[in-house]
Order: sequence, then C-alpha cells, then structure tokens
Amino acid sequence: MAEYKMESLKTFNYDRPVIEKGYTNQTLCIDISDGVISIKPVTEKMKNVFIGGKGFDLWLLWNAVHGTTKWNDPENAICIASGPMGGTPVYPGSGKSIVTTISPLTGSVIDSNVGGYFGPYLKFSGFDALEVTGKTSKDVVIFIDGIDEKVQIFTTSGLPDDSYTLSAILTEHFAKGKPRNISVVSTGAGAKNTRMGCLNFTWYDLKRKRARYKQAGRGGIGGVFADKGIKAIVARWDTVTTKTNNPANANILKEVGRKHSKEVVELDPKQNQMSQIGTTHLVSIMNDFDLLPTHNFQYGRHAEADNIGQEVFRRIFDPGYDGCWMGCTLACSHGVKDFVPLTGPYKGTKVFVDGPEYETIAGCGSNLGIFDPHTIIEMNFYCDTYGLDTISVGTSTAFAMECFEMGLINETHTHGMNLSFGNRLAALEVVHQMARGEGFGQIIGSGVRQMKIIFSRDYGADPDLMQDIGMEAKGLEFSEYMTKESLAQQGGYGLALKGPQHDEAWLIFLDMVHNFMPTFEQKAEALHWFPMFRTWFGLCGLCKLPWNDVVPEDNKDMPEPAKVMKHVEWYADYYSAVTGRQTTPDGLIRMSEAVYNFQRIFNLKMGFGQREHDNIPYRAVGPVKAVEYESRAERYDKQLVEKHNADITGKTTEEKIVLLREFRETLYEKLKDAVYKRRGWTNNGIPTVETVTRLGIDFPEVLELLRVHGVEG
Amino acid sequence: MIKINGKEHFWYEGMTIKDLLKNLNNSHLYAMVRINEKHISMPYFEKPLVPDNSEVFLIPMIAGG
Repeated sequence: MAEYKMESLKTFNYDRPVIEKGYTNQTLCIDISDGVISIKPVTEKMKNVFIGGKGFDLWLLWNAVHGTTKWNDPENAICIASGPMGGTPVYPGSGKSIVTTISPLTGSVIDSNVGGYFGPYLKFSGFDALEVTGKTSKDVVIFIDGIDEKVQIFTTSGLPDDSYTLSAILTEHFAKGKPRNISVVSTGAGAKNTRMGCLNFTWYDLKRKRARYKQAGRGGIGGVFADKGIKAIVARWDTVTTKTNNPANANILKEVGRKHSKEVVELDPKQNQMSQIGTTHLVSIMNDFDLLPTHNFQYGRHAEADNIGQEVFRRIFDPGYDGCWMGCTLACSHGVKDFVPLTGPYKGTKVFVDGPEYETIAGCGSNLGIFDPHTIIEMNFYCDTYGLDTISVGTSTAFAMECFEMGLINETHTHGMNLSFGNRLAALEVVHQMARGEGFGQIIGSGVRQMKIIFSRDYGADPDLMQDIGMEAKGLEFSEYMTKESLAQQGGYGLALKGPQHDEAWLIFLDMVHNFMPTFEQKAEALHWFPMFRTWFGLCGLCKLPWNDVVPEDNKDMPEPAKVMKHVEWYADYYSAVTGRQTTPDGLIRMSEAVYNFQRIFNLKMGFGQREHDNIPYRAVGPVKAVEYESRAERYDKQLVEKHNADITGKTTEEKIVLLREFRETLYEKLKDAVYKRRGWTNNGIPTVETVTRLGIDFPEVLELLRVHGVEG
Repeated sequence: MIKINGKEHFWYEGMTIKDLLKNLNNSHLYAMVRINEKHISMPYFEKPLVPDNSEVFLIPMIAGG
C-alpha cells in the first residue's frame, strides 16, 4: 500500500433525517473552493416535477450554471443522485445512481447512470442528491458518513492516481473493519489528460473480499471531477433492508419485488443468461445481424467475432455472484480474476478486471479490428484504472485508425505509431499515453470532434470526409451499434438529448428485425415512448435491464410485446408502494416527459438543443466509401431500385452512393419532423409553450429561453 | 421429442429451426434460439438441424442496449 496522508480540512455535523417513502427531503451541497458545506431542502414541487435521480440532478445543475458556463468553470456542478426506489434490496436492479454535469466533450448537459453502492448509501446517509461545485488546487477527499452523521473534507497527499489501488486504499481507510459499508467514487490519471474521463463507483464484493467497480462512463464527467481537484468521494452506511427506504406499503413492495425477482431467476437462464455472461451475448448476435461495429463502423460483421463472444467470456469470467447492488437477481457485473497485463504499470501483476461488457468488447475490440479477448480485457482494465470511458476511447481510436489507414494522418503525426486496425499494442499504447498526457494518445483523448479540427487545421486532412466518418454527434462519441439499416435507431442516437448513447432508445431489433414500426408515425411514437420510459429508470434509481432483457413467457401474447407491459405495470406498482403516490404505466411516462423536456431546454440554455444539433455523421446513415457500398452492394442496389424507384443502370458505385445518400438523408430529416411533432416540439426541435405548460415546467426562466428562441404562446 | 422452453414438443428427422418456429404462434418475435448451449440467430434459421432430445430456448431479443 502507498504511503499517504489525509488531514481534515472541514467537518460538518448534521442530524440524519428519517427517510420518508424513499425520500430524505434534502440535498447536500459542497463548494470545495472554500470548503462550504450546506443542506438544501427538497420541496414537494421538486418531487412532483422532477421525481428524483436525474430529475433532481438537472434541477440542481440548472440552478448552479449559466448559459455561458464551461465544463472547467468552478460553478459547474457534479450532481449525483439515486432516486426514491434506489437502495431497495428486494427488487432487482435497484441500486443505480445518475451523475450529471456540463460535459467537456459536448459543452452541454451530460448524464450517465452507474451501479455500485454510492447512490443508495448517499441517500441512506441523509441526502437525496449531492451537488459539488468549486475547484481546489489541493487533492481532496470528501467523506459522507451516514453512520456518524458528519461530512468531512480531507486534504490528501501520496494517494495513488489510479482508481484500482485508490479504491482499495480508501475502502480500507474508512471501513472501520466493515468494508461493505463503504462506496468510493474516483477517477484516474486519464481523466486529467483527456476529455473522456469516467467515474468509478465501487461496491464491495464480500466473497472475493475486494472493492469492485462500475462506471459512470459517458461525456467526460471524470475530467470535471479531476479538474475540481477531487481525489474521491466516499460514502459510508450500514445495514440495508427493505425498511431502510421506509416505503409507504412494504407488503406490496415485497410482493411485487418477489414476483420480478422470481421471474428473473426462472427466465434469465433460459433467455440471455446475463447472470452468467453479462451482456457479452450481444457480440455474436450483433455480428450475425450485421450490426457489430468493425473498423470504425464501416462494417457490421467479421469472421473472427466469435473469438470475442459469449462462449469465450463464459470461460474467462470468474464464476460467482456479481450483483452491483444488494439482492439483484440479474447480477450481471462479471469480472476476470487473476488477469496479468502485458503492458503498463501493472505489467506482470495479477489484477481483477471488472468487465468487459458488450460496449467495451465492441468499442475496444471489433471496432478497432481487434479480436483477441485478452487485449480487450487489458484495455478494459487500464481504461477503468485510468478513469477513461471505454466507449469514447474505442470510438475515438477507431476514427484515428481509419484516418491513418486512409492516409489522412501518418506516422509523423502519430509520433511513429502504426495505427493500423488490429494493432493491439498500438491500441494499448494509446490508452497509456492518455494516462500520461503525452503523445498522439492525448490527441485521441480529446475526442472525435476535436480530432476532426486538429487533423484538418494542422495536418491538412479533408474536413468533409472526416465529418462523414467521425462517429460523434453533439460532441459525444457513438456507442457501439451499427445504425445504417435502422432509421429508428438513427433517430435513437441522433435525437438523444446528450448525444449518441443507446440508453435513451435501442430500437434496432424492433425496427430492423421485427419490423414493428414500418411508418414514420410508428417510428416517432417509439421515439417518444421508449426514451420516456427509459428516462424514468434514471429518475428512480433503477437499472433498466430487468424490464426488457428478461421477458415474460406470455409476453408474446400481449398487445404491445415490445413494451413488456407486464413489467411496466409492476414498475408502476413498485413506485406506488415506495412513494405512496399512486400511479399507472401512463403516469410513469408523464413523469419522464417533464424531465426529458426540461433537459432539452437545458441544452437550449447551453447554446444547443435545436434541429441542427440532432444531425449525425453520414457513416451512421449509410455507406460513405466505395468499399463499404460494394461490401453490401446487393442490399444497397436492391433498396435503390425497389424502395426508392431509382434507375441504377450503368451507374458507378460512387454515383450510387450519392443517390442512396440523398434518399437516406431525406428520410432522416422526415423522421426528425415526425418525432418533433410527436414530442410536442416546434419544427426546430424546441418544446412549445403548450408542452412546457402541460408538463408543469413553465418556469419564468424556461419561458424566457423559449421566447428568445422565437417560441411563444 | 424435444423440449421448447421446458415443455415437450414433437420432433422429426430433418427439422430445422425455421420448421420448428413455423408451428408456433408469434414466431416472428424470436430473433434467437438456443439449442442446448449453442445460440443461433435468425439469419441462420434455415440450415441448422434440430437434434432429437434437444433443449430449445426461444429468445425474444427485443432489447439489447
């Protein structure tokens, strides 16, 4: 263990409130510039409109920042919250936290959801949400001790920069012999030197006797954390039972929790087997359907994909219970024991790796042309350890590799590194350079949007071509699904509030495979309902996986099988049982609508949130290069002739690409029209006065923002 | 005889996954099946034969991300 010192800078004692129906009714605010710690009340109106979790985060952040606030301004806040149901041990997937801040990648609001014990422990310690503002030149650790009812700020020296060791040290330091009582939020050296830093949230694995972690990965939140001078935030809490949330009706809660848990236990082994193999089952499925991104999203399939699929990881994962929250029966957070990295500071040392999940396998594997599971595991380990988002690292490196192979950049620019697809050592070296803040890795760490500027300005690369192949929108790198053949999923990415992350809408199979939504109106309806329902999980402290990754056996007989309504009804019962506020499936959607529209308007406040910001690169829509088109020529030719009535006789590949692009881009614009209409927005993608009034978010500042943008009642 | 999601189901020589699904209601919902421990996706439903005494699981795959 490292030699380190911790000195108390500030201690704030408080009386922990009794939790009432899932709420503590207060939030904790810490300004680390001057060490001011305070408590703000949660009003009934705040609960009615924002519900909790991401809703509370957004409200706190909205009040902390101005429209001109940059990610590294002291006033930027990092907000963390669980939700009214967060911390329930009898219902699967009830330990999530949501983190929001102004993102270094997008310049606007980012939200990222994460497992681990922190959110529930924060709430049980007395706070529905945490808001941290300010900046300090010292390294500080914030300690929220719900057992001894005090919040402390420590200055520290000598603590390691990497999350892997830091989490272990701080868990032991604060545990007082009970490490399960501790959850640590931290980042690593990579977050200081890139724009794609993540946060690691720990949960203590009693069987393996170690701190495990999950990531709030997207949007560079770790960079904001590091820039503020925060080394870690630690929460301490004791025993958790169903009563800890003091639910309005414990009997109904237990009953509905028992039903859903039982179903997961019975059906997951028959269906996706996530309790055994996590999300790795998606690799072969995506590959079979031509949806697995390879070589920077050029193709959706690769002959070697099975080398990084579920059957390989089934053998590699360490068997055992892997629930990132207590009592979760899905328990999908698997890991690799006794892994020995071949590179970097842990070279030759046995480590435990949390993951990989599908996104990491596709992002740091297939999309880089890497089909070696051990390289992917090593990338996973170092990204976590350095505090880096594996999705942005993967998608950004893939872009750099394609630019390298196309000759847009060369070894002069990469400092001698051969960035060809499939170069495993180069991919690992990029990650190490990100952590050290040096070399070409640091440029890749600035993200796709910045790389496009740098490559064009400094290296003379073609900006239009890079715009087409650079897989970012709103400044955020795409997560790892191919969207070329699913218009609905193009919307799922392009119309997502924070940028192209699949947690708002994952409609590929419903659209492309099952053909549930053949018309624009049906696609628009899906791009209304699914983002709203998925948003709801983030308001309440819940994981979405138990909703539709385990499907009731009679689901196929239900009127709307895609929505898995039996589970939606259970969630309505769950919400009612905890909060005492009776609701229905439609009520859940209404809750989300208010927060969703508020976040869209928050984007407007930050200078985004209009139609032009929902554009996506053409690589997400169709084939950019001749090799892409020709690899699926039969498909594209057929579509041109049968779907678009085009005469392609005698046309070259390049001419057919132009034709297809015209058709597909027109469809995407029509999709925008239909979705905006369904969501109650103007044709420029801004919520109308009628919409914000209906949802109860017609605050004076909101109406003024709308007015400034030409939207009036 | 085979088992589909734990329930017994008739089997015949030469039965493919496509044949098997043809006899079920709402078979279009199943993008994947697992036969014993092997997963097979919809694009490959026509060729593989279902062995006698197999345990077959129908996987809806409406989610993913």
